[in-house]
Amino acid sequence: MNQNFYQPINGQIVDIIDESPTIKSFVVVPEEEFKFETGQFVELTLPGVGEAPFTPSSSPADSEKMEITIMNAGRITALLHQCDKGQKVGIRGPFGNGYPIDDFVGKEIYIVGGGVGLAPIRSLFLTLIDRIKEFKSVVCRFGARTPDDFIYKNTLFGSWQSIAGVDMKLTVDEANNDWDGNVGVVTTILAQDDVDVANSAAVVCGPPIMMKYALLKLLEFGFSDENIYLSMEKNMSCGIGKCGHCMLGKYYVCKDGPVFTYGQIKKYPEIWD
Amino acid sequence: METVFISKLKPFLDAVAEQMELYVPKKTGRHFVYSKYNPSTETVVEFNNIRTCVPAKEFLFPVRELAATSPKSLDLKDIKPFAVFGLKDCDLRSIEILDKVFADDEFQDPFYVALRENIFIISGDCTEIGESCFCNLFNGRAFAGGGFDLNISKINDGFIIEAGSQKGQGFIEGHRSLFADVPEALLAERNENRARVQNQLEQNNTELQLNTTLREVVENSQNSEVFDVESQNCVECQACTRVCPTCHCFYLYDTKLQSYFAKMKMWDSCMRTGFAAVAGGANPHKVLGDRIKHRFMHKFVYFLDRYGIDMCVGCGRCVDADPSEMDMRTVLRKLSEEFKDKKEANVTK
Ligand code: SF4
Ligand code: FES
Repeated sequence: MNQNFYQPINGQIVDIIDESPTIKSFVVVPEEEFKFETGQFVELTLPGVGEAPFTPSSSPADSEKMEITIMNAGRITALLHQCDKGQKVGIRGPFGNGYPIDDFVGKEIYIVGGGVGLAPIRSLFLTLIDRIKEFKSVVCRFGARTPDDFIYKNTLFGSWQSIAGVDMKLTVDEANNDWDGNVGVVTTILAQDDVDVANSAAVVCGPPIMMKYALLKLLEFGFSDENIYLSMEKNMSCGIGKCGHCMLGKYYVCKDGPVFTYGQIKKYPEIWD
Repeated sequence: METVFISKLKPFLDAVAEQMELYVPKKTGRHFVYSKYNPSTETVVEFNNIRTCVPAKEFLFPVRELAATSPKSLDLKDIKPFAVFGLKDCDLRSIEILDKVFADDEFQDPFYVALRENIFIISGDCTEIGESCFCNLFNGRAFAGGGFDLNISKINDGFIIEAGSQKGQGFIEGHRSLFADVPEALLAERNENRARVQNQLEQNNTELQLNTTLREVVENSQNSEVFDVESQNCVECQACTRVCPTCHCFYLYDTKLQSYFAKMKMWDSCMRTGFAAVAGGANPHKVLGDRIKHRFMHKFVYFLDRYGIDMCVGCGRCVDADPSEMDMRTVLRKLSEEFKDKKEANVTK
């Protein structure tokens, strides 16, 4: 019958985690069963106020709750940042395609991320390490402006550093006294011999400028257009390919994305605008 | 399916109105605008010569509608059948386009679908052409080819009514006494009328005949300055997207009504500055010329690539609505000239 995709289901924020000066994670419990695949996004409604699109940062395997990491960057996100535990929310979705995990099997997965782009990547990462034996390796190259700006610090600086099959390197644009890692933009920690390019898939998610330069590096390393997966940001509204807000050439980012191979979208001139 | 004759429109429209709410075109100034038909007060019934000023899309895609509520979910309401008279071929083809977006994929818009299933479409042949009509560029015609329940052709002594769907056929069968058979001569008259108006249409647009596809022209205009130059004529009123029968962008916004929260669905326009802006502030279409370019790309390239048809029916409403000098035909003509020059330059190189 006629399903109303505009209708959110009810949910509640049960916990809020400060991730960085501008970023918080919200733990949301939906009142009804809600399933998603890693990389898909949801529309989070603040009732009576508005809604905005986010890719959950938690693992889809956790069916009880979902984590959504939000940077304070606009009207709705600023209001979400003012919310307390117990806040009622609405959830629509999930929308779009997820990461094609099954296509990754047997490969090395090269994940390049930065800033709040680590949110979708965290969900992907958790999904991958659940099945880590199926992949040759998971190679992570993450950047942030300063050490403080990294999100998921506890796990990122802690347990994620020593998972068998995972090779993790971090960098910051500007160091502070506690930082003994690399200093420089994320492309400075990308190296040709990080992975066996011919047998790898690359995943890139972060601010447009970072994605643009990371992409150039990956192409230089010899990655094919079809093996580079980009998470595109647009101002999604409906989520179902109707409202026209998220167009990228002939694609609706909400429905055909948000994950695209570079090959799919490279002919459109405005991908990084 | 059947074709019948009736000498006057009023008894026919009265019969429709007896069954369901009916909307008809009313002449207001130079234009036709839809209004509700009331059999007891309506004495003169007009047969609109050309398309109405505002398209029929509002009947299927209202300017603003309630899309969801919380905490209690919205119950989808039952829609009663209703009829709209006066659509032209361009209108029928624009509904085909809206169907592709709202009804033909795995994510149907339940509000559109409910209205679409309940609309009874009574179209009519164009008895002349509008100055801005250029539908022939999109294989459009001055008479309906399909997509109607009933179609009406005006002839000297009355009207020929043709059924185009089971619903339409059912109406004719249910109202036998209203109709008479159509003599061959009247059908011939109809065909002559159609050919005459179609010819006018083609004469009107000789300047716009391209020897290549619009898709090719527009796709190759990515770096053209025409959009920026022409944008100087645009006052950003968004009238073009509002009167367009195929433009369907909307946005969802949340508000509080009496005792519950509501999510509303409301028309939007890609001509609006912030239309494509993301939360972080980035905006691929900050410049007006880029928005106009996007509008053309969407209509003539992207939509075609996705759905297999142009997202323009050539009705010319945007030309009429524009308070300034912006004219889609001029833009297309300039782009095609530019494209031709570029091509020739490449050949001589
Ligand atoms: S109708 Fe004309 S002036 Fe108004 S927004 Fe459209 S192109 Fe610009
Ligand atoms: S968000 Fe509406 S079309 Fe993609």
